[in-house]
Parts: sequence; structure tokens; C-alpha cells
Amino acid sequence: MAIPERVPMREQDPKVRITNFLSVPLGYSADEAVREAKRCLQCKVPLCETGCPVRMDIKDIIHLIADEKFEEAFFLSKKDNAVPAMTGRVCPQEEQCEGKCILEKKDRAINIGKLFAFVADWAREIDLVNESKPEENGKKIAIVGSGPASITCAVDLRKLGYQVTIFEALHMAGGVLQYGIPPFRLPRDVVDYELSYLEKIGVNIQLNQIVGQNVEFEELKKEYDAIYIATGAGAPRFLNCEGEKLKGVYSANEFLIRVNLMKAYQFPNWDTPIVCGDKVGVIGCGNVALDAARCAKRLGADSVRIFYRRTKEFAPAREEELKHAEEENISCEKMLSPTRVLGNDDGWITGIELVTTKFVGEDKSGRPKPINVEGLKFEVKLDTLIIALGTTPNRLFLSNVPELDTYSWGGIKADENFMTNIPGVFVGGDALSGGSTVIAAMGDGRDAAEAIIKYLNK
Amino acid sequence: MKHTITRKEDLNAADYVIDVIAPKVAEKFKPGNFAVLLTIPNGERIPMSIEKAEDGKITMFIKKLGKTSRELDAWKVGDSFFKIIGPMGTAPALKKFGTVVFASDLVCGHAENNAMCRELKKINGNHVISIQSFPTKKDVYPEKERSKQYADEYILATGDGSMGRKGDMLDVLQEMLEERKIDMIFAGGDIPALQKLSKLTKKYNVPTMTTVRQIMVDATGMCGSCRVFVDGKQKLACIDGPMFDGHKVDWEAAISRLAMFKGKEAEAMECYNEKMKEVV
Repeated sequence: MAIPERVPMREQDPKVRITNFLSVPLGYSADEAVREAKRCLQCKVPLCETGCPVRMDIKDIIHLIADEKFEEAFFLSKKDNAVPAMTGRVCPQEEQCEGKCILEKKDRAINIGKLFAFVADWAREIDLVNESKPEENGKKIAIVGSGPASITCAVDLRKLGYQVTIFEALHMAGGVLQYGIPPFRLPRDVVDYELSYLEKIGVNIQLNQIVGQNVEFEELKKEYDAIYIATGAGAPRFLNCEGEKLKGVYSANEFLIRVNLMKAYQFPNWDTPIVCGDKVGVIGCGNVALDAARCAKRLGADSVRIFYRRTKEFAPAREEELKHAEEENISCEKMLSPTRVLGNDDGWITGIELVTTKFVGEDKSGRPKPINVEGLKFEVKLDTLIIALGTTPNRLFLSNVPELDTYSWGGIKADENFMTNIPGVFVGGDALSGGSTVIAAMGDGRDAAEAIIKYLNK
Repeated sequence: MKHTITRKEDLNAADYVIDVIAPKVAEKFKPGNFAVLLTIPNGERIPMSIEKAEDGKITMFIKKLGKTSRELDAWKVGDSFFKIIGPMGTAPALKKFGTVVFASDLVCGHAENNAMCRELKKINGNHVISIQSFPTKKDVYPEKERSKQYADEYILATGDGSMGRKGDMLDVLQEMLEERKIDMIFAGGDIPALQKLSKLTKKYNVPTMTTVRQIMVDATGMCGSCRVFVDGKQKLACIDGPMFDGHKVDWEAAISRLAMFKGKEAEAMECYNEKMKEVV
């Protein structure tokens, strides 16, 4: 039997969407979702589920969607995933569930991400509430940070009656979902809705609380039965080259925090400004680099060029993001590495000096290792440079809790049960692994919740 | 938590003082720390020096400079901030220095001057000298808001000599360094003046810690906007500072980076003025 073609996802036209910050995919209609779900072969051994870091019942959920049982599908997805509307949008499905889908070999995998986003959006529109407050078990857990790892850990523990308090340093909860991922990829009404679920089930979120700074870690240790640290990897990496101090040079973090958290794209109605020139360069080719590049385009930049030291096929960015960026006329220039930033007498950036790279052997990640080719240097004129070379764990928390064992790169050490050198103190997400994805952090959160429960009930 | 203003008084034509309820910030504050203010939900996260923390309240000196500080100037006692976050930053370790000076020439510096002198005085063996300079007599703060009461010696200077000594903090300091032995200098205020001050004290080889005011966004070490180059190394004013060894700071970069959003600040101001016209 011939399998029908993947139901295409309707998207905002590239010419229109570069003038706004609204979602690029428009989402499946109920009819489209059912048609897409019906493509599923309902494999006896659903490989898709083996690719899911939070182990969702993907096969059954798709079956329910095909049967138009959206409510049941929503509850089943919510069982293993606290925030399905978000993961449906930002997971790298092509490397996970969809990557394992048997149909991917023949044609195109089931669009699992968009199906799950559809179900979650459908539930949001009718304000479907699926949780009552659980029976309290009297145990108290403190969670530091409110990003994806924390959200998952909090929900899993709360469902079993643990009293959970989240401490967030910023004035809004969500971590990278709030400050990092732009609204055209993850609309803020979706973030707000998913976070409101935490409050509905009785998770206490304390904003503006910087553990180690205005809340003592010792106080938490005394007051709580266990602590989960998921402070993420919030500190930007710079090039450490000449000219980085120039005006017009941003870390991707700064660029994205201004745009996403502080809504600089709505300046002056929102107070935080951003200066984005006509000619923008972005260093790096991960999702963060692409997010920043696409924000720059939406802020009105004429030309946005990504400079990457490898080739696109080795880029950490998601396929969908690369495609979207290309449609938005963002160029990705390969085998180039910056050597210095050029500036004028007023201290503003005027350009960048790049050097051609070549591959020599492999690095630790198994990808070809780029090295600079001496002598092959040239200059590119720029008036804004965004450095997106990844992030490291935030020093602020670590410097205030010196008794935690850490690696030299700033990650917190843990045993196989995610417990740090301090009994009852667990760690997860990017604070443990360095830099990863939203869903991997959620998987960490789930595993940590299990470990915490085991620890408290041994 | 409602961050309500409990006192608001003018310091001079441009500066004012406010007391705001912020128990969490007040409880953990150490001189050298600062607070982050969000006036309204769509406001900016603005770093602000703290003059005093007492009875669950913090005191701040604010200059009517940009859009937010002007907007805030229209607020009255009883009005509340959307958020006040902190204390932020690393407070310098204070100890027995011997003869120690705090010099300031600008609103935030004057706030830091008060906070620091108060604390330095508590440590046995410190002889605390406070220097405050203002452009002219009418700019001089009321006596109860000046550091005179906290220091062993107090020198007031005005640029035109209309009150106290003639000159600025640099003139006073230069003379002092010529005449007597100073063990430690702290300073806060105008960034170009602090550059000159650091150059001066280096000549006399007196250790100098200065506040390096920079533009911040999250102020928790995430964005790198406030990067300062100290002894060739990149530091963040929000978490490593804002006080750094003045002899080692790359002042040119610090001064230059402060101007990055000048154009946007003017635009915000213009927009605010337009709005105010409509209100009137």
C-alpha cells in the first residue's frame, strides 16, 4: 500500500515573517493533524519511542489523534512530558523520534513534533486542565533554576505529592525558553501557558531569587529534604581576540536576552534598546547562532551572514532552522574562522578579519577538526557582530557554593544517580552536561526526579 | 512583595533620594553591592548603587538622566516598583587599611561614598577620609545626605569654589597625596574622572578600587554586556565587580562601551517627552 505524503506544514511567507516575530509554522488544523496521524504504520515495535529522551507513548498518542480523540491524546502526552506544546516546537525531532521513524527511510517520517504541538495547542485553546493538586507527602524539594530540566523535575515530583519550590534568578520563569529561544520559534503565549500549569498543580515559583547571592545555599540545605541544581549554561563564550571590546559586538546571549526576555524588538514601547546594524555577522552555526541571525533579520538588517569554521553538514543547528534561515536570505559561509574584530576611532566595529580553515583529522566530537590556514586572511565589512560560540555554566552560582565539586570547564560533577558530592544535592541539565537541547535537559530532569525519590525513600 | 517608595526627596535640581521597601536586598547588602530596578513590567533592568540598607528598606541616589530615571522622578511616596532584585555584584573585602579615602564626584559615587565610609569606620584602625565634589554650591547635597557624618575627615569641594574647597575630587586628592601617606583609595562616580583618578594614584603607588559603571542587562553574568578588561583579562562588572583595581582597568574600553546605546537612549527620551506632552 502506498503511504500518503507527509501533510505539509503551512508557514508564514519568508518575505512577511522577516518583518515580525510571530511563529513561522502556522500549525496543523484538526483535519491536517488527523490526516498526518493516519500515515502512521503503528509499528509493533515503535522505534520512535526509543528516540525520545522523556519516553513518551508516541505510538498510542498518534493513534488517538488519528481517531480524533484529542483530549485523550493530550492527557497521554502530558503523562510523560510537562510541556508538550514547547517540545513539539523545539525538539530536534529529526535526531530523535522522527529520525527513528521507519517511514523516514521510504519517504518522510511522521511529523511527530507538529502533531504533538497541535494536540497541546488544541488543549490550550479550550483550557483543558488535567491535574488536580496531589496528596501532600510532607517532603520539601528546592530546585535552582526554572528552565526545562527544572520544569520536568518539578512536575514529576509534584505529581507524587512533594512540595516543590523553584528559585529563579531572573524576573521571569522558563530559563532558556524565556530568554533564549525567540518567539517566532516558541511563541510566548505557549511558554506562559505551559508555565501556568506548574502553578496549577501547586509548584511554588520564586522569582528574582539568586541562590548563593540573596538566598543562602546553606539555608536551602537546612530547609529542604533535597536540592536539584539546574542552573543551565548561561555564561557566554567569547572569541578572546582583538577588538571584542568594540561597540556593536554582542554575545549571542546578550542579543537574545535583549530581544526575547526584554522585548527590545518592541523598543521604545519596551524600554530595553538594541542596536542592530545593516550588515550583521554571526560567528557559529548552532541553534543559538541561527536564532540570533534570524532575530537580526527581523530587526531590519539588510545582510546577515553566518561564518562557520566547518561546513553546514557538521553544524549543530537543527535542519528546520537551517532551512528557515536560508529562506530568510541568511547566508551560511563555511570554512571560515574569525581572527580579529576591526574598529574605528570611535570604538565602533567596522568589520571582521576572517581566515580560511581546512579539516585535519577529527576532534573529540567525532567531527572533522578545522584549523586555520595561515595566510588566507580577508576582511568583511560589518556593523554588528554576534558571537555564538556556545555557553558555559554560570560562575555566579558556582562561586557562591564553593563546596560543590566541579570540572575545570565549570560543569558540576555528579555520580551515576545525578547526586553531587553533597548528599541530597542533585544536578542536571546544562549545569551537568555543558550545552545540550531542551529535551535532553527534560530527560535529565525526569531521571533526577526518579533519583531524588529513590534517595528520599531508601 | 510590594516595593513601595517610603521617602523621596530632592538632593539638588538633578538628583533625588528614595527609600524603597526591599527586605531581601536590605538583609544581604554589603557596601559595593548594587540593586537591579525594574520600574514597570516593560521597563529596563537598571543597575543602581545602594546608599544604605536598613529596616527592610534600601536607599538610593538617582539622577534624572534617561527615560527611566525621569519617569521615576514623577513617582511619589506610596508608588511601587515592579521588581527590585539583589543585592548584586561582589562587595570588596573591607579590612583595616590604615588611612583610607573614598572620593566621589557624581550621584552613584556619592551613594557608594556614604555606604563605604560607614562600613570602613566600623573597622578598628581605619582613619576614614571622605572627599565629595560637586560643580557648584547649589548642587551640594543637604548635609544629612553627605558622608561628612561617617568619616573622620571630610573634604567638600566645588568646581567654582562657591562652597568648600575649589576644585574637584582629583584636585583634592592630588594635594593630599603630595602631603601625606594614604594607604588605600576607593572612588566612585564619573567614569572619565575615575580614569584620571586611577592614573594619579598609580603615580603615587596607592592601591585604588573604583566602581566601573557599565551597561547591564540581566546583571547575573549571562549576557556579557558589562564586560570590563582588567589586567588584560575579561571580567564582568555585574558579578566580578562593579569595583575593580583602577590601575588595571582598560578605561578607554569602559568609557567607549558606555556610549553604545546613546542614540537609542535619546530616542527613548524623545518618545517619553512626546508622551508627556499628550498627558499635559
